[in-house]
Amino acid sequence: MNTFTFERSQRMFLGTLMGIGLLCAIILLLQHDPLKARFWSDFLHNSVFFSGIAVMALFFMGASITGMAGWYTVFKRVWESFSLFLIVGIIFMIILGLGNYLGFHHLYHWNDAETVADDVLLKGKSHFLNKGWYLLGTIVIMGGWIYFARKLRALSLEEDQDPGHDFEKHRKMRVWAAAVLPFIGFSSAAVIWLWVMSVDPHWYSTLFAWYSAASWFVAMVAMTIMIIGYLQSKGYYPEFNRDHLHDLGKFLFAFSIFWTYLWFSQFMLIWYGNVGEETTYFFTRRDHYPVLFYGNLVINFVLPFLILLRNDTKRKLGTMFFVSGLVFFGHWIDYFLMIKPGVLHTTQALSAAGEDHGSHAIAAGFGMPGFLEIGMMLGFLGLFIYMVFWQLSKASLIPKNDPYLAESLHHHV
Amino acid sequence: MSHSPVSPIRAPLVEGHKTYHQITEDLSTPTEKRPNAAWWGAFAVALTFLTIGVICIVLTIWDGITEWNLNRTIGWGWDITNFVWWIGIGHAGTLISAILLLFRQKWRTGVNRAAEAMTIFAVMCAALFPAIHVGRIWVVFFFFPYPNSRGPLWPNFNSPLLWDLFAISTYFTVSLLFWYTGLVPDFATLRDRSKGLRRKMYNFVSFGWTGSAKHWQRHESLSLVLAGLATPLVLSVHTIVSFDFATSVIPGWHTTIFPPYFVAGAIFSGFAMVQTLMVITRKVLNLKQYITLEHIESMNKVILLTGTIVGVAYLTELFISWYSGYIYEQFAFFNRALGPYWWSYFGMMLCNVISPQLFWSKKIRRSVWWTFFMSIFVNIGMWFERFVIIATTLARDYLPSSWSYYSPSWVEIGIFLGTLGIFFTFYLLFTRLAPVVAVAEIKHILKSAGDQYIGKDAHHHHSSEITQES
Repeated sequence: MNTFTFERSQRMFLGTLMGIGLLCAIILLLQHDPLKARFWSDFLHNSVFFSGIAVMALFFMGASITGMAGWYTVFKRVWESFSLFLIVGIIFMIILGLGNYLGFHHLYHWNDAETVADDVLLKGKSHFLNKGWYLLGTIVIMGGWIYFARKLRALSLEEDQDPGHDFEKHRKMRVWAAAVLPFIGFSSAAVIWLWVMSVDPHWYSTLFAWYSAASWFVAMVAMTIMIIGYLQSKGYYPEFNRDHLHDLGKFLFAFSIFWTYLWFSQFMLIWYGNVGEETTYFFTRRDHYPVLFYGNLVINFVLPFLILLRNDTKRKLGTMFFVSGLVFFGHWIDYFLMIKPGVLHTTQALSAAGEDHGSHAIAAGFGMPGFLEIGMMLGFLGLFIYMVFWQLSKASLIPKNDPYLAESLHHHV
Repeated sequence: MSHSPVSPIRAPLVEGHKTYHQITEDLSTPTEKRPNAAWWGAFAVALTFLTIGVICIVLTIWDGITEWNLNRTIGWGWDITNFVWWIGIGHAGTLISAILLLFRQKWRTGVNRAAEAMTIFAVMCAALFPAIHVGRIWVVFFFFPYPNSRGPLWPNFNSPLLWDLFAISTYFTVSLLFWYTGLVPDFATLRDRSKGLRRKMYNFVSFGWTGSAKHWQRHESLSLVLAGLATPLVLSVHTIVSFDFATSVIPGWHTTIFPPYFVAGAIFSGFAMVQTLMVITRKVLNLKQYITLEHIESMNKVILLTGTIVGVAYLTELFISWYSGYIYEQFAFFNRALGPYWWSYFGMMLCNVISPQLFWSKKIRRSVWWTFFMSIFVNIGMWFERFVIIATTLARDYLPSSWSYYSPSWVEIGIFLGTLGIFFTFYLLFTRLAPVVAVAEIKHILKSAGDQYIGKDAHHHHSSEITQES
């Protein structure tokens, strides 16, 4: 079973998930909500989250090729497939970029001309926080990522046909893989500022881009474990052994701790400095979103730390699937917490503009993910897996001429 | 291990078709022969610097901090700059031994021993500065929180300076244990080759190692446990050093990216120092077949990577200072780049971010001369980085009436030269007392990385057996 067949039943199931997502989207759009903030914040949340998983797969592949890693070669095609989801991701992000022009969403306070005119800080930032940069930055940066993802994929597929003299194809791949690292390194920060950090346009933190990229990364590893676990249950990837799983488990463990390290660094320095402009970010989250604020740390640090600390749990597919699901959901919550409070604040400020007082209550779908948020997430998840399976079915599951394949097949720790 | 296939694309890490016996010979003899003139020359220079350092430290203690050019706003100058610089250098050893062990990077075996030794000496140099910068060294025991004799007077547990004490002493202890654990089998090898007093000495330090299966098993589990413990330590030490600055509310210091950015910078400077030492060591002790161009290239890649990460951090800081809209933050960076210390900022950018980009060229990565010059460049650049952070920020604080310009006194410079002397004195002694390349660990990778087994010069029956096993 070296070729993946995308069965009808799987397409039906994933189609159903996408249907649920679409249904939730329609319900949200039909609700009485003049700014449609709930729908668009869900849309932004999921588009950013799933695009991030795709770009982290590309980044990790680049890092692995550059670092001459051999162990992951058997399941390399899974990451190639992840990275190609960017092609879908860019469409969503362009829709959001156009929304800034056409005004069908109001996610960003810096896009409201009246507010910016009265706000010294936003006026100062308007050379960066403006709809032109948002759209152009998104297209150029995501377009660049897609270019690299397709290039690496194409070389990998060519290698299946003919590795070339003295691994020529692989040596070419190395060049592209090395080049993608600084490109993603610099560009991911820029889009994270535009897409995510700027929903709280007054607030800033230098660590924010690395923090949210780490969140993507952990979600990507969790997604990898779950997808491979599923494929194995269908009889694919018999070559993927306990040692591969163990190593993925170590990455999940290590990067969960790394994420926590960044979370703590950001939080602690802001808490210690006690500068009002900075602490407001955490006060909002601690006071109005206490369950998610503390739950974020429990799901993304305490649980994976305790579960994955032991050696044997990292070698059991069932346990790994469970903890991956947990952490995946946890990082989705993390993004929820990054995006929703800022959007809510903007929405309240904009709706209050014409009136004497606006509502400061937390609207449905903002304080806690509701069924409609979960439904939207399932829709995106269905689409993501659909694209991954579709890409997987287009090539052999094992890159048979990869120079590291023998090492990977005999991987043993 | 030796039965696992090795990718045909991997280059060998041990050259010259070495046998196990040759490895023992090559790596042990430097400790058994009399040192040559080059060694004595280097040792004399290092001791001279050390002496200068001792004189300057004595002056500092005798007269007090007045010997330094610190003033009312510039409370930290070369002292803490040097402290952070040395701590940073002390990061490569544990990174190579712990994190690269966990990542199963075989090239670590060529350089880990020397890098770990270097780590320990660098941390010793670093620890000197907090001790002497307080001025009254006789009360330096106040750093340590111990109960029952000082009544209600305790160090401030909320202070990152105290956290530093814990971080560095823990790091020093674990690095030392790690280094020593690796040394035990090698000391036993030296013991088995020697007679008389030398034999007694190595017998004592090798703890009666016999090389039994049980010993190896304990050795391997201990190494793995220490690697697990040391990995978070690599991050924590420089994280806490960065807290010394970032917990304040001083523009240019109070920035959340400091912890991971300091860690990346530390690894960057640590690898540069490893390169400086390795390039010389492999030449003087004739270890080119153990510390190969492949090793040098790998380390240059790490330098390129970490240099670029540091570059992302510099630009992030610069951008966010503008983005913040906070005029003091904006001024701090304007002042760094275009203020009176502009030369240090541009020196930092040039040495740390721009020049490492030369390593995109494979030719330069594999050139010993380029590597040596670049490693010196990076060492200088990373010193500038700390100077930029400390001096430029303090020289122009919130109160323009107390702005001033700081340059070091000759005593401050002398103490810095002194730490270089301490560092090289210890390193030179180390090359006489222990194998600079880990004997046992090189033997461990021979079957999977020796050039008679893999690569272009491999014996035919071996290579075909290995590559076709799959």
